[in-house]
Amino acid sequence: MPFRSDVEGLFARRVAELTESSDFVALESGSATRVDYDRFIENVFRCHTKSPHFLAFLFTLAPPEAVPSITHNLLEEMGIEEETGESHPSLLRQLAVEAGLSDRLPALETRAQDDLRQVIVDPLLYGTLRELGLAVLCEVVSFEYMLSRVASRIARALEKHRGLSPKALTWFTHHSEVDIRHAEQGIDNLEAYVRYYDFAAEDALTICEMTLREHVFGRRYFGELGLGLGLTAGAS
Amino acid sequence: MRLVAATLYALDIPFVESFKHSTKERSASDSVVVQVRDEAGSEGFGEGCPRPYVTGETVEGVLQHIAEDLWPAIAERELPPLAEGAFLSLVDELIPRREIPGVLSDNASRAALELAIVDCVLRREGVSLRRLLPALRSRVAYSGVITAGSPEKAAQQARQMKVVGLTQVKVKVGLDDDVARVAAVRQALGPDVSIRVDANGAWTRPQAVAALAALAPFGISAAEQPLARGPVSELRALRQESPVPLMADESLVTLEDAEELISAQAVDYFNIRLSKCGGLHRCRQLAARAAEAGVRIQIGSQVGETAILSAAGRHLTASLPEVDFVEGSYGTLLLAEDVSSDAVRFGHRGEAAVLTGPGLGVRVLAERLRKYARRTVELPLGGAPL
Repeated sequence: MPFRSDVEGLFARRVAELTESSDFVALESGSATRVDYDRFIENVFRCHTKSPHFLAFLFTLAPPEAVPSITHNLLEEMGIEEETGESHPSLLRQLAVEAGLSDRLPALETRAQDDLRQVIVDPLLYGTLRELGLAVLCEVVSFEYMLSRVASRIARALEKHRGLSPKALTWFTHHSEVDIRHAEQGIDNLEAYVRYYDFAAEDALTICEMTLREHVFGRRYFGELGLGLGLTAGAS
Repeated sequence: MRLVAATLYALDIPFVESFKHSTKERSASDSVVVQVRDEAGSEGFGEGCPRPYVTGETVEGVLQHIAEDLWPAIAERELPPLAEGAFLSLVDELIPRREIPGVLSDNASRAALELAIVDCVLRREGVSLRRLLPALRSRVAYSGVITAGSPEKAAQQARQMKVVGLTQVKVKVGLDDDVARVAAVRQALGPDVSIRVDANGAWTRPQAVAALAALAPFGISAAEQPLARGPVSELRALRQESPVPLMADESLVTLEDAEELISAQAVDYFNIRLSKCGGLHRCRQLAARAAEAGVRIQIGSQVGETAILSAAGRHLTASLPEVDFVEGSYGTLLLAEDVSSDAVRFGHRGEAAVLTGPGLGVRVLAERLRKYARRTVELPLGGAPL
């Protein structure tokens, strides 16, 4: 229980940092510029378009208890959970196209691929896949947690101030408040992972804190930074 | 071969977390990067980190000094051939010695220019700095640094370093709660990790005596710059009273400083840093002199240095026979973005492999330099007024 409450507290603090940041306030209030909105959309695309890759990685490390939900998430991301499903990367492409950013897509795809490559080639801070997997799972779950609380607000802001249609904003509505149960399941998975791999709660929380350094969401969505996945956190 | 162009970048790269010690808090890098180009089109990059409280240099002062004093004296001069055994010494001699009123030493300027020239010549030949500084080991292990925050924050940073597997940690001290902070760090790290402290000259001698006596029971490997730079007799007197070995940092800028410290038997360790001490050649001179005198060494770094200085520091460290502690190569652990396409930061246990690519071994991205430059100065032949 302490790990769960501690990690939920950590997630909540990071979400509050995001929603209280001047960038987010400008996004919601409409005081952001057209360039700001476009950069935000580009950063969301860059941040999430490789999510299926990371879920596939997590699938290989998932403790038995978490396999069903991580499998479900992976299939959902790939758009093959149901016959009419669309993959989440395609929903992100739809967002960019509807926002008039089609010409930016090749460059964004390249940057996202470069981000992924960088994660692979950077030296690992952790000694085993056990710790690395926890960092990756924590990052994925934290974004689910954050989006389940703010995705609708973001969608409303983009609809009102950037003129995007509901169709364009499908990716956000897929991750919106209706997904809170999904985020709760993610925290269950984190707990299961910590139990299965015999982490001391303090070490597990430390890895989560390193993964989710201050303003982690803001840096991704507003700061032009690529994927972090806890591999860029650490020992300064 | 001659240098025909240079560009200076005063960088402002945000940190992912602010870094605090007893005299300064930083939230962004303030390096000066020098990019040089020779007549064949080869480029090289060097870096210096001016610190007013260490060498007396400022960012603006370094830009002006290089543009008006150093660059005009070396532009279009024949560069020394790489085949010479004394290449680093010849590059050091190529850069003119200039005294600047109010500045202890122009070492950050010299380091930036020296590294850029060395990188350029080596890249032109397609060889690594390892040719000049053969590596005596394949990997270098770095220390973590715990900043001057609350004991709770220090314990949290220490736990992070423990899960990363670091075996050496430095704690910034010189504040009221030093004992509580070091105690919290020791408790978090356990008994096997080496801890040293750095006061950045915050103490008087009586304060240092009392503080080091109180900290010694936590097992302190060394105390860096306990007193402000001043008479070495003070350091010597402190050393005689201290239960903890002493390390000179701000007190060690020049070779003359080293001779004075050695003569007075004032310290146990030298903290040698590329930017503070004037580049590869001068750092190797200091290291050699320390070895002769039985003074042990740390190869230190600059907070917020980019991949350029980190790469040069790694070559320097790997080439020296005995180094007790190494700092640097934090890369994107501290910087929001680094300037190279290669990751130079350390990994698990603080370890990083010796670099093998041409020049310093990192590919610097000019667009990143432009992105984070708060000021850029182009230096054509003959120098340019700022």
